[in-house]
Amino acid sequence: MAGRVAIVGVGQTHHTTRRNDVNMAEMVGEAVRAALADAQLSIKDIEAFIFSNMEAFEGVLLPDHGMVAEVGAVGKPGLKVTGGGTTGSEAVGEGCHMISAGLYDITMVVSWQKHDCGDATAGISAAAVPTFAKGMVTGAVSEFAKQALSYMKESGAKEEHAAMVRLKADRGACRNPYSHLKLGLGSIDEVLQSPYLVWPIRLYDFCPQSCGACVIILASEKRAKKIHKKPVWVADFVVVHQEPFRAGSFGDPTGTETYSQHVACERLYKRNGITNVRKQVDLAEIYEPSTWEEMSLYEHFYFCEKNEGWKLIEKGVTDIEGDFPVNCSGGVIASNPIGATPVIRIAEAALQIRGDAGEHQATRDIKTAIATALGGPNWTAMFLLKRSL
Amino acid sequence: MAEGSPTKQPERPEYIRIKFDLPRPYNWSTGRYLGKLYAEAKENKKLVANRCPKCKEIKVHAPTPVCPKCKVDMGWDWVELPQTGTVFQYTYQVYPLFDPHLGRTFADPHPPAIILLDNGVFLRHRLEETDTKKLREGMRVQAVWEEDYEKRGQGFQDILYFRTIEE
Repeated sequence: MAGRVAIVGVGQTHHTTRRNDVNMAEMVGEAVRAALADAQLSIKDIEAFIFSNMEAFEGVLLPDHGMVAEVGAVGKPGLKVTGGGTTGSEAVGEGCHMISAGLYDITMVVSWQKHDCGDATAGISAAAVPTFAKGMVTGAVSEFAKQALSYMKESGAKEEHAAMVRLKADRGACRNPYSHLKLGLGSIDEVLQSPYLVWPIRLYDFCPQSCGACVIILASEKRAKKIHKKPVWVADFVVVHQEPFRAGSFGDPTGTETYSQHVACERLYKRNGITNVRKQVDLAEIYEPSTWEEMSLYEHFYFCEKNEGWKLIEKGVTDIEGDFPVNCSGGVIASNPIGATPVIRIAEAALQIRGDAGEHQATRDIKTAIATALGGPNWTAMFLLKRSL
Repeated sequence: MAEGSPTKQPERPEYIRIKFDLPRPYNWSTGRYLGKLYAEAKENKKLVANRCPKCKEIKVHAPTPVCPKCKVDMGWDWVELPQTGTVFQYTYQVYPLFDPHLGRTFADPHPPAIILLDNGVFLRHRLEETDTKKLREGMRVQAVWEEDYEKRGQGFQDILYFRTIEE
């Protein structure tokens, strides 16, 4: 990027099943206030806004129009991003672009989903290219069931390993004051007792539908150091699109397709001289809609060799205390307000770099982190964050 | 708000919530390419796909004017797909999910499957067989069409499901 950009403020609401006490704008307002407090800025300092939300999921068209007052965006420029699962990453990317291009010095990314208003599965099934995807898409669960079946068959991972992913996530979630599902699970058997939704995805293998918001404030190099004593630098980011609704939307059961993760990694790692991810990067916050997908993503982001993702889980490499912590926050299977989910990944990675994650702070010192997003028919977004450039 | 502290769930009564369940009729255009698939299905009970002039890949999900891989104009080269194939992968619902099209949950849903058609094209569809004990990969299947002409016109949905066949 031409001009350097830093994260100077993050704020989020707690994530939960229902927020009947507030409407969409009021919920978003909570995160805006939290981010401003973190950055010690006034809303008047924000020069442009980027809204991130999947509008079909709440059944509201132009939800950003209904909240400009609460957010403090009246009279200021802004745009809305609606891009499936990767919406939030693309929104943060736009906020960076605006600053990097020299248009503004301070931008705010406002992201949210209020799932108690509508149903994400309905949104995905009914609204996703209705003329050819209607009836072909039974929400995300059966797509990730296919992915899980392929992963199980190829890698040799067992259901016990998927259960270990949930246990790891739950340990993080229970320490994270914002997370949605705090199950307090103690053993693999407890996870394996949860019912199947779609074979072989169990209830505890999959992400919830959460209400929640997350806000990130970005600033130019010139302003960042004056705003926050610990700015987190956006070293680089990539977004890779993929064809719609192929035979296997996630993963590649047919063995004939290109993984968007591989394309994204090739660009991001090459541009930043990364040849050994686990040595050169300290932590990752990845977008894992299911326990099975987390193990698979370890491999596709080259955290390990092919078919060895489940071994990282088995050895505890990706635990909070591990050598390469992944999703200390509890991840997506613990909290999933879709429009905000990728923004939370970036915010959590930034907090880890600052050392401000609190009880779910990784044991090792985090100087460099990756935050990813996954969405649509397997689109990939990746952010590389650093303590110093 | 202090840094790092969660927003507290306020203890107060729930506000009024408005339920909105009016049907909202939409009309989508299929377009030239997808329209060809719809028309062949409705008029002739045929499943068609288009083929890239460069990489020769057959696009069934869905026919497009531009090849996603080569990024070249697809032209107008159509292939009729065989209606028999083998089950490449399948899954099945255990917990009934809500179906927004019908406004109810699936009581006995047909298993979603990836079917390898006899010309090597992968097709996403579903299986007639709902007894999960009788499902297996490699099973031979054949498309079963909606026979009522008036009910056809739903694209891929004109095929109801794939039925197990003995050969």
